[in-house]
This record gives sequence, structure tokens and C-alpha cells, in this order.
Amino acid sequence: MSANLPLEGIRICDFAAVWAGQTATMYLADLGADCIRVENPYVWNPATRAAAPVLPAAVAATLPPWMGGHPDGDPGPRPWNNSPAFIHVIRNKRSFTVDSRRPEGLAVVKSLIAISDLIAENLARGTFEKLGLDDETIRAIRPDIVILHLPAYGRTGAYVEGRGYGAHIDGVAGSTIQRGYRDSAPETNVQTFAGDFFVGMHAAVAALAALRHRRRTGRGQVIELAQAECSASMFPQAALDAAWNSRSAGSLANRSSEGFAPNGVFAARGDEQWLAISCRSDAEWAALADFLGRPGWATAPGLESAEGRWGAQDELEAELANWVATRDRDELFRDLQEAGVTAGPVLSAKDATEDPHAQQSPVWQQLPATADYPATEFPAPSFTFSRSDIRIRTAPALLGEHNEYVYRELLGIGEEEYARLEAEGHIATTYAPEILGR
Amino acid sequence: MVQTNEGTGTIGAPEGGERAVAALEGVTVLDLTAHIAGPYATKLLADLGARVIKIERPGGDPARAFGPWLGDEPGIERSGTYQFLNTNKQSVVLDLKSAAGRAVLARLVPLADLVVVGQPPAVAERLHTTPEALREVADVNVLSLTNFGWTGPYRDYSLSETVLYAMGGEMFSHGLAGREPLKLGGTASLIQCGAMAAIAALGAVHASEVHGISQRIDVSLFDVQLNSVDRRNSAILAYRFSGRVNSRPEAAGPAAAAGVAGVFPCADGYLEITASAGAYWRRFVEMLDEPTLREPQWSDPAWFGTAEARAQIDAVLYPWLLDRTRLEIWEAARGARAILAPLFTAKDLYADAVFRERGLWEQVEHETLGTFPLLGRPYLLSETPWSIRRAAPRLGQDTAAVLAEAGYDGAAIDDLTRSGAVA
Repeated sequence: MSANLPLEGIRICDFAAVWAGQTATMYLADLGADCIRVENPYVWNPATRAAAPVLPAAVAATLPPWMGGHPDGDPGPRPWNNSPAFIHVIRNKRSFTVDSRRPEGLAVVKSLIAISDLIAENLARGTFEKLGLDDETIRAIRPDIVILHLPAYGRTGAYVEGRGYGAHIDGVAGSTIQRGYRDSAPETNVQTFAGDFFVGMHAAVAALAALRHRRRTGRGQVIELAQAECSASMFPQAALDAAWNSRSAGSLANRSSEGFAPNGVFAARGDEQWLAISCRSDAEWAALADFLGRPGWATAPGLESAEGRWGAQDELEAELANWVATRDRDELFRDLQEAGVTAGPVLSAKDATEDPHAQQSPVWQQLPATADYPATEFPAPSFTFSRSDIRIRTAPALLGEHNEYVYRELLGIGEEEYARLEAEGHIATTYAPEILGR
Repeated sequence: MVQTNEGTGTIGAPEGGERAVAALEGVTVLDLTAHIAGPYATKLLADLGARVIKIERPGGDPARAFGPWLGDEPGIERSGTYQFLNTNKQSVVLDLKSAAGRAVLARLVPLADLVVVGQPPAVAERLHTTPEALREVADVNVLSLTNFGWTGPYRDYSLSETVLYAMGGEMFSHGLAGREPLKLGGTASLIQCGAMAAIAALGAVHASEVHGISQRIDVSLFDVQLNSVDRRNSAILAYRFSGRVNSRPEAAGPAAAAGVAGVFPCADGYLEITASAGAYWRRFVEMLDEPTLREPQWSDPAWFGTAEARAQIDAVLYPWLLDRTRLEIWEAARGARAILAPLFTAKDLYADAVFRERGLWEQVEHETLGTFPLLGRPYLLSETPWSIRRAAPRLGQDTAAVLAEAGYDGAAIDDLTRSGAVA
């Protein structure tokens, strides 16, 4: 039976790094593209396979859990094969190694480009050109290829040399200044990487559109996605308030940018038990007031309207905080939802794994153990298709796991040549000694 | 029906001066979603050239009631939320609560390659707009956006931006220890979910064109956020791997890290700076051009953690930063390849000459509102430019034309209008 994969027959030459780029190609791999990571055993790409190539357990323990929480807290000898921050974006892909900075390595890359439909990169400014892989060269090798570039601030304009990771791009896009506590300066804002998520998805959308055009017309094209520009679309209301009314709101903290009131996050009984409540309409407010037993503060004149409640938020939030504080988070969540009020617990990573609804969803998929991690539920594609086989078809690719496939099957390289490339260090399943500090 | 114009982006002009073909030309989408997530998904399709027929309830998409307002003047045609999310779409008003309205819907479904639905499951069952019901009408792709999917204990629960990020996203670790967890700005989480739905929609389009099949596609907003790459899927995997739970730190920014890492003030605002020990530190010091920070102890990572190092850094850093603007510092950083960026407000982004010159903002012509700026393209495609061909539709602007296309004559449309089934 056919798997009916949407991108069946599409091959990606994947130079994507960090989160934005690697998730972009992951979504395409989820949809069936044969996504081939080009990895260099002599180059450690920051924030792409792990926090560091050598990562003792004691050091991992000092990193935030999302970055340092390797299996049993110990990254072992190959942190790049079991990083919780990165291994999941390598699902459904293949990995092969080559030192593309050497001529024979570049020749290998070029022979892969010749049989690829799309090439993706978001390397530091200038890296690709330094390798000799400018657009013109790529299109000379494969005229109908789709080229996907994800520069931070664009490939033209005065910011072209700007460097940054997700947090910096979020800063320029306006994300950072719009979050944080209302009573403290942005200096206390912790980093989030909303733009990485957003950019990765948009790059996949643009690539899917370009691949459709290519299938219908035989023509490739160049996609330029400037990450800061794309990320700005996460905040259209603020953007238009600035453009239309010359206004810039700072952070509303947990208040609603849509004018819902009350809208906030309140501490429930116990340690770190938080409940979010949003009254999205007058009807939800009336339902909440009913649920509360209609105390005086909830039925005061003027509170029937969102505008009235907006002006009374300080008082409403204080009363709600008192009321939630003595109650069980999960009971209150279910009871409020049953009563018609939008509410939900702030689920920690642990809570999420134990949530009875999430446990039934297709969002995670059990994968078998490897030498580098135990059998675990992994993040799976966030969409299900009734007739296309969309799931984790192949586990996250270990470094160099598909060397044989790429060199022998795809590129048709013979025994002798393979042995030579291996001896010269192109073909490897670990990083070079200089990267590992040996 | 789909018309394409020349793009306005810097690399938007097609080669050889031929007429530009939109990437999604020939794809027709029937859009039954409202508010933010669903409309953002179909906006992405429409802006790449798909024909999107938006079905609005009588009175209109609730997004029409959300600001900001053009010129601060409220009105259902003046909503910034609606104008942004519904570019390049047609508006057909149908009362799906009436049998006559549903009969019209049944005649529109076969026009589409893809139907996108977003009603809560219980409502969809009442209105006969479940994916099964629609796929019985015609063999089309049906993409369903739900809060929590079609089964399970939370199936009928509602969501807001805040509750979505609380439950699905990594709110738990956003903010400071001892204080409440924080949402993101605006409605970022909902818009993110729309982008994921657009990927699924285009997957369905490819599957149809390659394999000749149509199918049902499901996207739950909760699931999208649970697998957000913004520290959420990694935090959950890290917990499974190690038992460690991502939580809010005691402190953030300058107070929390060795070296220079986090948000710092300058003359006219703030900067996000990453200059901890190593290459990023060396580039940062090159930017500051400060000899004392080049002395040998600064190549020792352990030194960075000391109070003395902190004091020496601060003595140099703050006066330097506070004497310069964000754009001055960013320019210096680019020269030194230092990793930092300004924190822009929405007004900064609108005023920024560089992004303007690159074409980030689009001037949109609206039939009754005149010309106004809109946040423009998220990407530049060299052959199939992103474009705004038409402003967001007025309520019911296309009802008559689309019904005529579905085979209704003028008298029938009048009857349906009088009965309130269409508007």
C-alpha cells in the first residue's frame, strides 16, 4: 500500500542549523521528503546538535533542563546523539558526514546537490559563499532547484551583517519588549525563542509553495526568509497599532491584548500550581460570577461589560487570586470549563507528560532505544492525515548513520573511493579529534 | 478568479519579465474558520495565490470586533486584527444554523480543493460541518482545527491565547521564580498554530496533486503548542530523559549570568546581548575597544564567574552602553561580528528605515477605507512573489458572486437573502 506521502520523491540537501532551520526541514521530512543532513565532522555548529561536543554530566547539570537534560543527566561520549534540545528536530531525516571545506568533500556535496530538489541553509553570514556554494553555482549544478535561505535580517540592506540567535531576532521582531512583568524593566525578561518556532514553520510553508510551483512548471526559485521580518507577523495587532495610531504598548504581562477581562494566571493551592483564567465574553464573565456564587465584587455595577471590567482589573485580579489560592488547580480547571469559563492549568513539562488528555493525543510517539538513549516517547508531527502516513517513520538520525546510503546508494560511490573518503576522515560517525579536544 | 500582480519585494520580480504565476494558483480553499488561528492559516495560503472563500456567520467573524482600529475608530470594517488576517480572501455570509444556509454550503464544498473548519466539535456536530459530514458532500480535503482534538476529556473545552500557552506552551518556565508564569505578547501562540495548520494544508494539496487522493487532516492547537520548538518539546523530552523540570529562574539578564548575557539598557532603550566567555566575548570586547578587558585573565572561563570580573565588566560596560543608542551599538556590533540586537517596539519596527527599504510594509488599497499600511510579506519568493492583490473583504462582499458561481440565479439569491440564510 502506498504511504501517500505528500513530498514523496523530493530530496533535500540540508545545511540547516539551530532551531529555525532544522525545524523547517523537519516539517518537510515529516511530509515525506528524503531530507539529508550534510554534517561536517571537523566543524562544530553551535546550537545545532548539542550544547557542546564534549559535555560532562557535571556541566550538563548547570545548563537549563531543556538544554542539559540528557538521558539520566549524562550525555555520555556522544552528546550530539541524545541532546533533548536538538535530537527531536532530526526525526525523519538522514545524516551523512563530509568535510565540505576540502575540494573532494565539496565535490561530494555538489553531486548531492545535483540530485536534490531543495537546498536549505541558515548558516552564519558568509559561510555558504565561503564554501563556494553561492546561488549561481548551485543553480548551475541543478537549474530547477529550490534554494531556501533564512538570514537573520535579510540578504540585503544595512543589517545584512547582523548576527544573532533566536533571542536576538525576537528582540528586533518586537517579541521581547511585549512580554515580562508590568512592574519591572525588560532586563528581567528571560529568553524565549518564539521566532525560531514561527520561522521554522514559515520556511516550510514557503518551501511547500515553491515545490508545488516547481512540480507544475519545472522551475525552481530562491526563497529569502529574513527571520526578524517573518517573526514580526506574530504581533500584527501591535504592528498595526503602531502604523495606524502611532502607539506602542509595552508588556501587558498576563492581561489580554484582545481586551478580555479578567485575564490572568493565579496561584492555586499547593506548590507551583498555577491556573490561567480568561473571560473572553460577557457570557463567560456571567458564568464565572455564577460559579463564584455571585459575591458582591463580582456583580458590582459596570462589570457586565468588558470595558468596565478592564478598568477594574486590579481589584478583580486581587479577588480572584484570593479565591483561587485555596482551591485545587485541576478541580477548578475542570469545574470552570464545565461551567463555561475558559481556564487551564499551567502545565510544567512533567505535568504535560501526565496530562490525561495529552496522553491520548498523537503528539508523542514511542521510539526504541539506541546506544545513546533509552526507549522514550518523542515529539511527533503535530498534524494527522487520514490517508498519508504522517508520523515518525525513522528515528532521529545519529551522526553519520546514513553514510552508506548516501555515498553508495545515492551517489554511487564504489568500494575503493568509499574507503579512501573514510580514511581521509570525510566518512565518520563521530567528530574529529580536534573538535573533541583529544 | 485568481489574479496575480507584480510583487513588490526586492527580489520579487520574476525573471525575463514574464507574467508572475502565483505559487498556489488554482488552489481553492473554502474557509469556515474564524478569529485568529484558522484565518492566519488561510491567509498564508491566500497571500501565495490560493483562492480563499471565507464563510462568515451573520454579523461577521468575531475578529472584526478586535482592534487596533484604523484611526482609533471602531467598526467592523476597521479592525486591524481582521484586516491583517484576511487579506486576499472573499467573504460570503452564510447562516449555518439554518437549513437553507447549510444547503448553500453543500453547493460550495464541491468548488473547493480544501475545506478548512474550525468550529468546536459540539457546534460542528450541530451544524453538520464535521470533517466526515463535509467529506460526504464531496471528495475534498478537509482540514480541521480544534482546540483539543475530537476525542478525549478536554474535547469540548475552550481556549484563549493565555490558556493555550499555559497548557500547551512552555509558560511554566517563562518569568521569574516566586512570581506568576507569563504569557507571550499579543496572540503569538494562536498565530503560531495557524502557521502549523498551513503546513498541513499544503501537505494535503501536495498529496492530492501527487497521489490523486483527498483526505482528512487534523490539527489541535494544544498539540501544536505541546510540540513547539520554543523550549517546549525539548523541555518535555528532557523531563522524560532526565527527570529534570524546566522552571522559572531566580533571576534573569545581567544579574543571572557571568560575562555579558541578557537584556541591557542603553541610551534609548534595551539590547539583547550574548557575550559570555569565548569567541563571542572576544568579539564583544573588540566592539567596546577596551584594553583592560583584553588582559590574560579574560581567557579563563572560571574568572568570569567572580565578583571582581563582574565589577570590572560593569564599570566599563554601563557607561559605554548608556552613552550610545541602540542603532549605534548595533552598527558597532555588526562591524565586530558581536552577537547582540536592539529590543524594538512595534513603533521602532514601523519607523525603521532599513526594513522599510526592504519592503516589510505594504500599502493596501481598500475600497472604502482608502490606503493604509499593513505588515507585509514573511518571505520573498523570487519566482512566485507573495502579494496582496486585494484588501480583506467587506462583510458579505462576495456572497452574490460566489453563489452565482455555484449555480444560484438572481431570484434564488434574493430569496436566500430575504430568509436570512445568506447576507
